[in-house]
Amino acid sequence: MHRTYWPRLLTVALLLAIVLLLVGCNTGTPQNTFSPEGDVASRQRDLFNMVLWPAVAILVLVEGGLIYIIVRFRRRRPDELPTQVHGNTRLELGWTIAPAILLLFIAVPTVAAIIDLGRAPAANALQVKVTGIQWKWQFEYTDIKDSQGNPLQVFDELHIPVNQEIGAHLESLDVIHSFWVPKLAGKLDVMPGRSNRMWFNATKPGTYSGQCAEFCGLGHADMRLTVVAESQEDFQAWIDQQLSGGGTSRAPQGAPALVSGGE
Amino acid sequence: MARAIEPNPSPVLEAMRQIREDAASYRGIWSWITTVDHKRIGMMYGVAALAFFLLGGIEALLLRLQLSTPNGQVLNPDQYNRIFTMHGTTMIFLVVMPLSAAFFNLMTPLMIGARDVAFPRLNAFSFWVFLAGGIFMNASFFTGGNILQGELGAPDAGWFGYAPLTLSRFSPGEGVDFWALGLQILGIASMASGFNFIVTILNMRAPGMTLFRMPLFVWMTLTTSFLIVFAMPVITVALFELLFDRLFDANFFNVAKGGTPLLWQHMFWLFGHPEVYILILPAMGIVSEVLPTFARKPLFGYPFVVFSGIAIAFMSWGVWAHHMYTTGLGAVANSAFGVSTILIAIPTGVKIFNWMGTLWGGAISLKTPLYFAIGFIAMFTIGGLTGVTHSIVPSDYQQQDTYYIVAHFHQVLFGGAIFGLFAGIYYWYPKFTGKMLYEGLGQLQFWLMFIGFNATFQPMMILGLIGMPRRIYSYPSGQGYDFWNLLATVGAFLIATSVLIFIINVVATTRRKERAPADPWDGRTLEWSLPSPVPAYNFVEIPTVHALDDFWHQKYTEDESGRPVPVVAGASEEAEDEEVDVHGIHMPSPSVFPLITAAGLPIIATGLIYDPAIVAVGAAVLVVGVYGWALEPATE
Repeated sequence: MHRTYWPRLLTVALLLAIVLLLVGCNTGTPQNTFSPEGDVASRQRDLFNMVLWPAVAILVLVEGGLIYIIVRFRRRRPDELPTQVHGNTRLELGWTIAPAILLLFIAVPTVAAIIDLGRAPAANALQVKVTGIQWKWQFEYTDIKDSQGNPLQVFDELHIPVNQEIGAHLESLDVIHSFWVPKLAGKLDVMPGRSNRMWFNATKPGTYSGQCAEFCGLGHADMRLTVVAESQEDFQAWIDQQLSGGGTSRAPQGAPALVSGGE
Repeated sequence: MARAIEPNPSPVLEAMRQIREDAASYRGIWSWITTVDHKRIGMMYGVAALAFFLLGGIEALLLRLQLSTPNGQVLNPDQYNRIFTMHGTTMIFLVVMPLSAAFFNLMTPLMIGARDVAFPRLNAFSFWVFLAGGIFMNASFFTGGNILQGELGAPDAGWFGYAPLTLSRFSPGEGVDFWALGLQILGIASMASGFNFIVTILNMRAPGMTLFRMPLFVWMTLTTSFLIVFAMPVITVALFELLFDRLFDANFFNVAKGGTPLLWQHMFWLFGHPEVYILILPAMGIVSEVLPTFARKPLFGYPFVVFSGIAIAFMSWGVWAHHMYTTGLGAVANSAFGVSTILIAIPTGVKIFNWMGTLWGGAISLKTPLYFAIGFIAMFTIGGLTGVTHSIVPSDYQQQDTYYIVAHFHQVLFGGAIFGLFAGIYYWYPKFTGKMLYEGLGQLQFWLMFIGFNATFQPMMILGLIGMPRRIYSYPSGQGYDFWNLLATVGAFLIATSVLIFIINVVATTRRKERAPADPWDGRTLEWSLPSPVPAYNFVEIPTVHALDDFWHQKYTEDESGRPVPVVAGASEEAEDEEVDVHGIHMPSPSVFPLITAAGLPIIATGLIYDPAIVAVGAAVLVVGVYGWALEPATE
C-alpha cells in the first residue's frame, strides 16, 4: 500500500479548496451574490444555500467513495479475477428513488419562490421604466414629471428610496440586454418588442453596482449601471435637484435619439 | 451485403487476396481520399477533430490571456467577441461532435460484428462535409481585412447567435453568414451520419447480437444518432430563418416588422439542449466500456444504464427553456421547466451510482484509460450537481449568463465529454494503430489535465457567484475577480501543456517498435478478438454472439461460486486467416464522389454570401458528384 498518501493529500487539497471557497465568497465585493441587500436577492441567496449544502454532501460522498473504491479494490495480482456481479435491482431502485425524494424537497420551495418573486409589482411601488440601448441604460420615473409633464429621465445611475418596492418595466431599443444588480435582485432580460416587468427593493442605503448580463455587442462589458439607494428625504432631494435642471446624469453626450428601432 | 455468401471457395480466396493487396496499396494520399473504410474514416474524423481542438484551444488561451488581469490589453473587444464565438462553435461542432463521430465510426461495426457501416460512401460523404464545413467556418477569419494586423472577420455574435444581434443591422460583415451557413453544412454531415448509424446498428448486427447484448457504447451511439436526426432539423429551420433575414430581408426576428427575437431562443435551445446530450452520451458510452474492462467486472446494472441513457435522451426535449428563465416566460413556464430540469438529474445520478457499482468489488488496474474515465465521473458529478442548482429557478436568475454557467458547462463538456473521449483514445488507440501509447506520458497528461482543469474552471464558479458576467472582454479591478481570473489562466496553460504531452506521446508512439497485442487490456467486447490493427474486412468470419460481453465469455468461464476461471489456452484462439474459406468477403469499393459532392457545399455557401454565379459553380460540382456517385459501379 505505497499509495496511502493519496487520500491524505486529497483531503488536504479538499480542505484548501474549501478555505479558498469561503474566502472567495465572503469578501465584500461589489457584485457578490452572497451579500444581498434586497429582499429578492436575499431569497435567491437562501435558495442557493438550500441546495448548496446537500450538493456538497453528495459531492463529498461520490468523490470520497471513488477514492475509497480505487484504493480498496486495486488489482493486486495480474491474474486477479473478481466475482462477476451483474447488478442488484433493489440497490438500483434505491438510488433511483432516494434522489427523487431529495429533489422533491428542493422542488417545492423552488416553485413557491418562482411564484412569489414573479408577482406583479405592488400598487404603491415606485414605477421605473428601464430601457436598454447599445450601450447605455435609460431610466424613466413614470410617475415623476418635470415642468413640461414629461417623465424624469436619467442615464446609467438609478436613484431609489431604501425599503420601498420598485416596479421596473424593461424594454429595449435594439438588441437583447439583461438588467442585473446582483446585490438587489437576479437578472431579467431586456427584450426588444416586449415589456418585461420585475420588482425589487434595497433594504440598506448604499451604492450598488450592476451591469448588462446578456451579450449585446462591442460595448457589452462597458454597459454598467449603478443603483443608489438612499433615505426617502435624500431621494426626494435628489429628485428635486434633477427636476430643477441641476442634475448631472440627465443627458450624457452621445445619448442616442430615442426613436423606435427599425427601418 | 456483409453477410453475402459465396458458394465457390476459390473466388473467396481471390477476394481476400485482393483486399490484402488493396490494403497494402493503402499508403498514398489517394487511398485516404477515396476510402470508404469505417476505420479510416473514423481516424480521419479523429485527426481533424484534434486539429480543430488545437485551434479552439489556442482561442481559449487568447481569451484567458486577455482576462488574466483587469483591463486586459491582449485583445480588443472586437477580436475578443470573434474569438469567443469561434471558441464555442469550434469546440462543440468541430471537436466534441466529430470526436464522438470518430468513435461511432471506429467502434460500432467492430462491436456489433459487422464489416462496415450500412452506407459506407454516405459515411465518407459525412466526413468530407464535416471537414468542408469546418474549413469554411474558419475561413471567415480571413474576411475582416489584414489578419496579420489583427483584423479578424469571424462571426462575433456568440455561438448561441441570439437574434436580433445576429441581424445585418447589428452584425454587419460576413461573419454571421459564415457561421450560419457553416452550421448548415455541418448539420448535413451530422444528419447523414445519424441515419447511417441508426440503420447500421438496427440492421447490421451479427447473429445473436440482440439489442440487449450490445455493448453500452453502441447503445449510446444509437441513442445519440436518434437525438441528432431529431434535433438537427430544428436548428436547420432556425438558421434558414436567420439566413433569410440576413440575405433576403425577411423578418422572422426583426422587431420593427413584427418579428420575434424570442422565437430564435426557443428553436435554438430546443435543438441546443438535446445537443448537450449529443455531446455527453457518447462519452458516457466510452466510460461504460472502460470501467468494466479495467475492473474486470461487468457493467453494474446494464439495463438501468441503458434505460437511464434513453430516459435522458427523451427528457432532454423537455428542458430547453431552462436556458431562458430570465427572458420573462412567466411563473408557470419557469416552474414547469424548473421541475423538468430537476427530474433529469435522476437518470444522470443513476448512471454515476452504477459506474461506482461497477468499480466496487472489482480488480481495478489503474491505467491511463481508467484515469480519464474516473476523471470523467469525478468532474461530471460536479457538472451534474451544479446543473441541479440551475433548476432552482430564482437562484438561477442570479447565475444565468455569469461565469458560474461557464464553469458548469465546462464541467460537463470538458470534465465530462473531453475526459471521456481521451479515455476512449487511450483505450482503443492500439486497436487501430497497432501501437500502445506510452503509459507514463499518458498518466502525466492525465494529472496535468486534471489539475489544470480544476484550476481553470472551479475559480470560474466563484467568479460567477461574486458577479462576473460571461462574454465580457474586460473587467475593472476592485471587483474581487483578479486572483481567480489569474488562477484560471494559469490552469488553462496547464491544460495546454497536458495536450502538448499528448501530442508528444502520439509522435513518440509512432516510432515505437513493439506491436500492440490484439487484447492488451483483457477486454470484454468483440473488437478485442480482432488483430491490432484491424484488417480492412474486420472479421474473417462474422461471429455468432451468445452473450453480453461475448469475448469475455470466450476467455473465461465461471466455477460454481460464480468466480471466473480462464478457459484453457488455445480453446478460444481465432483461426488463422488463411484457413478460413467459408464466407465470402464483399467489401465496398473506394470512391472519390463523396468528396466531390461534399466539395460542392462550401462553394454554394460562399456564393450565397458573395455572388450568385459562384452558387451555380457549386451546384454544378454537387450535381457532378451526385451523378458520379449514383452511376459508379458498386464493384469493379
